[in-house]
Amino acid sequence: MVHVVASMFPTMTPDTAWLPLPAAAWTEDTARHLLRRAGWAARPEQVAESVRIGLPATLERLFPVAPRPLVRPAIFSHVEKRMVELRSLKRACATQLERQPYEREERELSRTASADLAFQWLQAASQPDRSAYEKWHLFLSDVYVVGFEKVYSAERLYRHLDLLRSHGAGSAPDLTKAVSRSAAMNIYLDLNRSSKKAPNENFARELFELFTLGEGNYTEDDIKQAARAFTGYRIDNEKGKELQFRLSERDADRGPKTLFGHTGPFSGDDVIDLVYAQPAAATFLPREMARFYLTDQPLPHSFFAPLGQIWREQGFSLRELCLRFFGSSVFYHADFRANLIKSPLHYYLGLLQDLGLDVTPLPRTTLQPLRQMGQSLYNPPNVRGWVGGRLWINSSTLAARRQLAATLCQPIEEEKLNADDRLELQVARDAGHGRFNVDEERIQAFTSLGPAGITDRLCDYFLPVKITAAYRRTVLDYLQSAPPGDFEAQTRRAAITILQSPGYQLC
Amino acid sequence: MNPRFLPSTRREFIRRGTQGIGLLAFSRFAPQFLVQTTLAGAPAPERDRRILVLVQLAGGNDGLNTVIPFSDPAYHSLRPTLALKKEATLQINDTLGLNPGCTAMHALLKEGKLGIVQNVGYPNPNRSHFRSTEIWETANESSDSVSTGWVGRYLDNACAGAPSSADPEAIHVSSEVPQTFGGTVPHNTFGLANRGGAGRRDDAKLLERLVARPGQTSPDESPNNTFLRATMMDALVAEQKIQGLLNTYKPEAPYPGTDFAQSLRNVAALISAGLPTRVYFVSIGGFDTHANQANNHQNLLRNLSEGLAAFQRDLTARKLDDQVLTTTFSEFGRRPNENESRGTDHGTAAPLFVMGRHIAGPLHGTAPDLKVTKNADLTFTTDFRSVYATVLDQWLGVPADAILGSTHSRLGFLG
Repeated sequence: MVHVVASMFPTMTPDTAWLPLPAAAWTEDTARHLLRRAGWAARPEQVAESVRIGLPATLERLFPVAPRPLVRPAIFSHVEKRMVELRSLKRACATQLERQPYEREERELSRTASADLAFQWLQAASQPDRSAYEKWHLFLSDVYVVGFEKVYSAERLYRHLDLLRSHGAGSAPDLTKAVSRSAAMNIYLDLNRSSKKAPNENFARELFELFTLGEGNYTEDDIKQAARAFTGYRIDNEKGKELQFRLSERDADRGPKTLFGHTGPFSGDDVIDLVYAQPAAATFLPREMARFYLTDQPLPHSFFAPLGQIWREQGFSLRELCLRFFGSSVFYHADFRANLIKSPLHYYLGLLQDLGLDVTPLPRTTLQPLRQMGQSLYNPPNVRGWVGGRLWINSSTLAARRQLAATLCQPIEEEKLNADDRLELQVARDAGHGRFNVDEERIQAFTSLGPAGITDRLCDYFLPVKITAAYRRTVLDYLQSAPPGDFEAQTRRAAITILQSPGYQLC
Repeated sequence: MNPRFLPSTRREFIRRGTQGIGLLAFSRFAPQFLVQTTLAGAPAPERDRRILVLVQLAGGNDGLNTVIPFSDPAYHSLRPTLALKKEATLQINDTLGLNPGCTAMHALLKEGKLGIVQNVGYPNPNRSHFRSTEIWETANESSDSVSTGWVGRYLDNACAGAPSSADPEAIHVSSEVPQTFGGTVPHNTFGLANRGGAGRRDDAKLLERLVARPGQTSPDESPNNTFLRATMMDALVAEQKIQGLLNTYKPEAPYPGTDFAQSLRNVAALISAGLPTRVYFVSIGGFDTHANQANNHQNLLRNLSEGLAAFQRDLTARKLDDQVLTTTFSEFGRRPNENESRGTDHGTAAPLFVMGRHIAGPLHGTAPDLKVTKNADLTFTTDFRSVYATVLDQWLGVPADAILGSTHSRLGFLG
């Protein structure tokens, strides 16, 4: 279906595509598109406010200069303390067999901590005013990928994510340099094993291919030379300096290297500067953004050259790139409305926001459905991250999506939960985050709109796709055919169906 | 309103075509199997395929009170209130007996249709329900890096290159997709509710109309919308077809009314309809017996036993029993010594059952050594992957070592 692109943009050329959207085109419709794409959903109050203040001011809010940090989960201090104890317990062991129980406990602690981190993030991301930046953060973590299964420490993972967010509004070269020093990345791509005697090419290869340039924009020899420049990167284990980066001069290769036509005793940072001097560096990240935010059909390369030019002139500022990208005419083009398949995370967080619900703090009702829908948080399939698009969809993942929508729209069966789970729910309720499901009162309030009112609300509020008269008629007929005394249940079923329907899988 | 809006067979599809819904109306998003069968003629379902039914005893079944070592004094001292005396058990031999709830299974045992694999477990046992279930379902205990299930990897192997169809490769009767179904590539799997068939039919009515009726989408809908509707319709057609099979099924043997037995009845319905599905997954819960275990556990085993026996009788009457092997598993056994609440806590190794037309002898592997200190656990003597390897190799006929990623000795229960 690549043909879509060939025939598109009768009124748009690569030069005009990235011009700001004319103020007259900023309407409820375009505001909804922005909110659903930059974040997860378009809450009515957010749409109204965005239209009122205009697109540039809206973008300033969605992408703050100083993004809020992600709070370090409380359990981490306990985990860290116990991990230190476990390390010394392990040291005292004579055999592998004796060490095993301690290693097991380490794994369990890590898992618990990473689940807590996931909840913390989901809770932050589900706040409408934080969604855009959290999604941007998700995008960056899908470019600068690490996987928990290899990184294995929630603390390392947290610090990696933290640096992605603290540098996420800054410059791309700075971000890339910070990533090269991240403990998680050092382990994930084996930088910590790379030495002058035996340079490991894993990081250098992915730096070029997946983080900054894309395939075809470097040679195998560039990789070899770059790998030499990244030797000696080590992560400290010393007390008080845990997980801090240090350069081991003994292992670092200080000799001259030749790459991208330049020769010198380049360091890792020098290599990253050379990378950003390459033409491809200016278009790689914008192209990844288009794939993540705009369309799974690749746009012609010619469209990215002008955007890349502007971005380079802005010193590769990531925030400026966001403002330009989400403020551009092409972002609002008719061909890019309701064409993108929501990721499982988008589907889940979109449901929460559309329904005004809180994250249920139980793995069984959050992390597990996400996994069943094909997105296990912090465990992308490989270093490429999630490919997304149609690969999200098959009979099994669709069934999981349908199940999730039904679960959120039905009362929670608390009597079936164990004591720990009930306690988690209580803690969330006490903190004021206790709306886990669409309850009876809300359905009752909804039924008062009557069949026609309900139909309009369901179709117009939830669905980004164009609604035909026949579609509206089908929903209305269904509501009107409710058996006597069953209208409330029929309304609930209709609402669940709309949230399960193909149209709601799109944004 | 026609409740069966979607066509579920090729004939019905074509018949409706002449009534005006029309092939054209469907042509952009006709379910894949309908397109294929319309073009190629419906292939006859393969009747001779071997099928595996996995039964999960969720919660951790107490092995020592399932297969009871009544002659071992250690058993009685470990369990002052829970131990069953020889007379109370259904004797297997001079040292072992089944729990009194297992009358029906005891009969199968005598008929040579049931076998017990004793003391099955894995090294470095984990006592978390979640983690240990994951270990059993992925067949990987050493690292966290394998998240695919062993059944999923079997499907990767068995179904590679096979033409896609709307019929599921694996079906689970449980609310959540079992992790064991996850493969390296996505597989067409399907979930049934344990009662009333293929989920919430009332709920799907509106969805069927919205995806299948003409005119429900604007002519310029995005290609991804078309794709989503096609995939959704495939799933709904499978759901409807399966629902039809479940509704019209007449078992040849009576099934008890329990959820578990009804789940197996539904599995029998689909097997006898000749679906190409190779693996079924059924779950029976409640085995986490921390307190006042005795009656509770006996009832659970009675449900298990009567359900399994009804299923086997039904298959036998239909002459399908040579096609189906049923095996049980549970995430762990329970602690050898009982606790202060007349229950048992999470433990390690336990026996599991295999059921089929010809099971070679009642007992496989060796019984556990009960000489353990207080709150210590049993040491397994048969690795659970030996059971999987035997099933993969000798029943499903696929290279077990490649699927399991390691080599394990084969057991003799299939002869």
